[in-house]
Formats: sequence, C-alpha cells, structure tokens
Amino acid sequence: MIDARTHAWLRPLVAVFVGAVFFLPLYLVLVNVFKPGADIVPHPAALPLPPTLDNISAVLSRPDHLFTYGLINSVAVTALSITVLTVLSAMLGHYLARSRHVLAKITLVTLLCGLMIPAPVILAPITIVLKSLGLMTTLQGLVLVNVGYYVPFGVLLFMGFVRSVPLELEEAAELDGAGKMRVFWQVVFPLLRPASASVLIFLGVWIWNDFLTPLIILGPDSGTTVTVGVYRAIGQYQSDFGSVFAFMFLATLPILLFYLVLQKNFVKGLTGGAVKG
Amino acid sequence: MTDIEHRVRARAATPPPRGGARAAGRGRPSRRARLGPKLGRLALFVLPGLLAYVLFVLIPIVMTAYYGFTNRNPFNPPTRWVGLRNYTELATDPEFLQSLGNTLVITVIVTLLANAGGLLIAMLLDRATALYLTLRGMFFTPVVLSSVVISVIWQAVLRDDGLLNSALRGLGVERPPGWLSDPGIALYSIAWIITWQMLGFCVVVYLAALQGVPRELQEAAAIDGCGPMARFRNVTWPMIAPALTINTVMLLITGFKAYDQIQVITNGGPGTGTTATMAFHVVQTAFNGNHVGYSSAMAMVMLLLVASVSVAVLRTLQRREVTR
Repeated sequence: MIDARTHAWLRPLVAVFVGAVFFLPLYLVLVNVFKPGADIVPHPAALPLPPTLDNISAVLSRPDHLFTYGLINSVAVTALSITVLTVLSAMLGHYLARSRHVLAKITLVTLLCGLMIPAPVILAPITIVLKSLGLMTTLQGLVLVNVGYYVPFGVLLFMGFVRSVPLELEEAAELDGAGKMRVFWQVVFPLLRPASASVLIFLGVWIWNDFLTPLIILGPDSGTTVTVGVYRAIGQYQSDFGSVFAFMFLATLPILLFYLVLQKNFVKGLTGGAVKG
Repeated sequence: MTDIEHRVRARAATPPPRGGARAAGRGRPSRRARLGPKLGRLALFVLPGLLAYVLFVLIPIVMTAYYGFTNRNPFNPPTRWVGLRNYTELATDPEFLQSLGNTLVITVIVTLLANAGGLLIAMLLDRATALYLTLRGMFFTPVVLSSVVISVIWQAVLRDDGLLNSALRGLGVERPPGWLSDPGIALYSIAWIITWQMLGFCVVVYLAALQGVPRELQEAAAIDGCGPMARFRNVTWPMIAPALTINTVMLLITGFKAYDQIQVITNGGPGTGTTATMAFHVVQTAFNGNHVGYSSAMAMVMLLLVASVSVAVLRTLQRREVTR
C-alpha cells in the first residue's frame, strides 16, 4: 500500500494513469464518432476537429431503418418488461416476505433456483413454448420471456426491502379498514421506492443490452432490438469504423441517459443489497 | 411506469368486493369466509409473476432435462428416448471437452483478474474528491454497456489491422501479435475483454465495502504498531469479506455463461472451436445443428457445473465471513 503522507502526490498520478489506460477504448469510440471516416485509421486518437455529424446522420438515414426500427423495438420491449416486472415482483416479493406458509417457502426456493439458470440452457425449450402460444418472433413474446426470466431477481430485491417496512404500518392501515390491495399500493409500495428504482435500472440495463434472447426470439425476419442491430450492422459496414461507432453510440445513448438519471438510487440499491446479502 | 401505477392505484382505491365482505364480517370470520379474500389475494399477488416464471423458466428447464435423454431434432422426427447415450457421448466428445476447458480458462482468469484489479483500483480510488468520483464513473461505464458494444469496441482495437497493432507498427514492432487471429492468444483476449467489462462492478462493490471499514479500527491498529501491509491483512481484508463473496460469485456466473463476446468477435475460431465456450457450443448445437437432444444434455452439464461451483464457492466464502 502507498503511504499517504510521504507520497501524497503519487495517488492522483497513478489513479489518473490507470483510469486513462482503462478508458482508452471508450475514448477511441467517442472521438471517432465525430471524425470523417477517412481520418480514423491514420489518426485514431486525435480529437475530432472540426467535429462532423456525417457518421451519425448516415446511421439515422439508413434505407433499411435498422437503427430507427431497432430503437422503437428496444424502447417498447424494455419499457414494457421493466414496468410489468416491477409491479409483479413487488407484489410477489411482498407476499412471500410476509407469508409463513410452507408453500410460500417452497415457491421462494424455486424462484431463487431460477437465478442460477443461464439463458442458453433453456432457450431451445423457450422457443417451443412460445411457438405453442403463437408468440414466437413477436415483441409480446420477448416481453413475457423477460418477465419470467427476471422475476426471481426482482422478487429477491423486493423481499429484502419489504422486511424493512414495519408490519405495524400494514396492520394499522388494515385496522382502519383498508383492503390488502389498498394497503399494498398506498402504504407498502411507496416505501419500496429504492427497491423499485434498483429493479427498474438493473433490469432496464440488462434487458436493453440483452443480445442472445432477442436474437433468437425475434429471429432474422421480424425486426430486431437496437443491440442486435449493432451485431447486424458490423457485418455490413466491415471496416467502416465511423458508421459502426456511430451506431453503437446512438444505441447506447438512451440507456446511458436512463442510467444516469436514476444513478443515485442505483448505487444506493447496489450497496443496500450488498449489506443485506 | 407512472401511467400503469396510476391506473393500478385508481383500481385499488375502490375497495375490492371481497375485501369489503371481509371488513363487514369483522370480529371472528369463519374459516370459509376468510378463505375467499385469501384466494383472491393469492391470485392477484402471486399468480401473474409465478405464471410467467413457470411458463418461461420452470417448464423449459424440465424440457431441457427431458430432451437430454432423447435424440430430439425438430427436422428429423420422431424423437426417441435414448437413455444416457448423450451423456456418454459427451464424455468423449473432443469439441465439447474443448468448450468445457475454454469456459474454465475464461472463468478462472476473469474471477482472479477482476477481483484483484477491482480491489486494487478500489483502494486507489477510496477518496471522496471530485477527481476520484469522476474516475469511479469512468471505471463503471462498461458495466452499463452491452457486451455486444464492448465486443465491437475491442474488436476494433485488437484485430490484425486494428488500432492497437497500427500503434505497435508505428512504434516499430514489425510483427505484432494476432490478438484475435492467433489460436494460442485469442482465448486470453476474450478473457481480458470480459475482465475489462466486469472490473467496474468489482470496483464499486469493493469501494462500498471499504467505506464500511471503521476508521477507528485502522487507527487503533496503527497505534499498536501495524504497518500498512499488516493493517490491510488484519483489518481491511477480513472486513471486506462480504464484497469478496459477492464479486466472486458474480464473476464465476459471468465467466461460465460467456457467450456474446464469442458470437460477435470470433464465432468460436480462429481454427475450430479455440474460443468456443459451453454456452456458445450449446446454442450452436441447438439452433445451427438442430441437435436439440444432444445440446440439452450439454446444457444440463453446464447448469450443474455453474450451480455446484457457485454454491460451493458461496458456502466457503460465507463461512469465512461468519468466523472473522
């Protein structure tokens, strides 16, 4: 370890150096998005002066609308999935945290087992289930799969927070004549706001960035999400770094903004989970 | 979000008929009278979430387990029960064993490197000034990015005519390594990319743990004559044990299911299967080869491996937390 007093100047120096090396790949993308394609290979690290929006407008005006359609699909799938997931896993997590019935315990253990299952393990049967429901290659199908796959994570997160809500609050509301639904939505759910924020942002980022599941479920013909669009785009652009980087930049921007807006709650949620274990 | 929330709230505001019935029969409701609202609540709170889970996780995992004992191939019916044949074939299948080995190499490298690097960087950044807060944000950025995006970035850096080798040639290196085209290197490049992606997660978790180490403990140890190394070993390291547990389990699971980077960057190559992981092999066999039976057996092996290793590691590390 570095002795703080004798080498006080060393820490910021090392920190900045390590940070710069780590960040270099992202820096290369950022500057080259705004650089004319011909300048990228000879001067990859140079600042884009003067900056150009050619790469970005090339992606936005693609004749096949790969980006715009992908963006619409991604927004729809992500927004629907995380809304439904937050509502359903909050209710399920609350019920399981409060119930002492043996079936609730069994349900909980079954759900937690699902946390460990990697998606590739169940993907082939999922397509069979979707086909039998007539939902294969549809956005609704993808949303439902997301809900089923991520509900254990949501339940786990909400359960930890439900335990911090005093049972007396719920009993008081019930004594005042509120039904179970009303107690949940007007008393408990508002108190679970940090958990809701964590669920929204974790699952928002994961679902937006998911690659394999939308690749298989939406299939090649019926449109893609924007993340799968990046994969499709690299095949076509070959070594046109400018267009590829611009596509990735645009595909990442919405979820990055979403994340930054909720960031404070996010980091709190992350460490909250860390302490509770 | 708000739209649905409002609608649900509006519905909740009008008292549900069953809740009303219960409120009317206050005092000591009979067992039958209590069962009604209980079932209603069960149906509303439990069933929707559980149904999705059963349909898209529980039933599929049972199907995978069953298909593992069959020769299922959707384009070559009928499906027949073959007992343990898939599993005995797997035991001697060189492609599968190679993917198993690749997965283990990636998992071990990612778990060790990201843990060690994450802890070192967290200790480096354990200050609350603007500079360090900015640096924390920089390290965390890849965690928010898609592994597809990260793969494309690193492909642009590491490919033979990529940015790194152009720079190396500029420095006078005549034959820079083929980071992604040399069969002996490509697997390690993939492991490095996943490490880079996960590093920020570990940094954040370790930083949270470091901030939970009481200053008084450090100072007391210093007064008792402990140097920085001894203070780290005897105070900091035991105190951040829960962070080590979280990071290690998270990294193990990430390593075991590595797929995206391989599909986007190498497609299993260079050569045959030099970077193919188990997840990649499972998906290829199921969706390109259509050997769903065989790939299901593979998937079950993968699942049992992930589950047993993560549970074993979790148990071991948590025991360390308790006895500190």
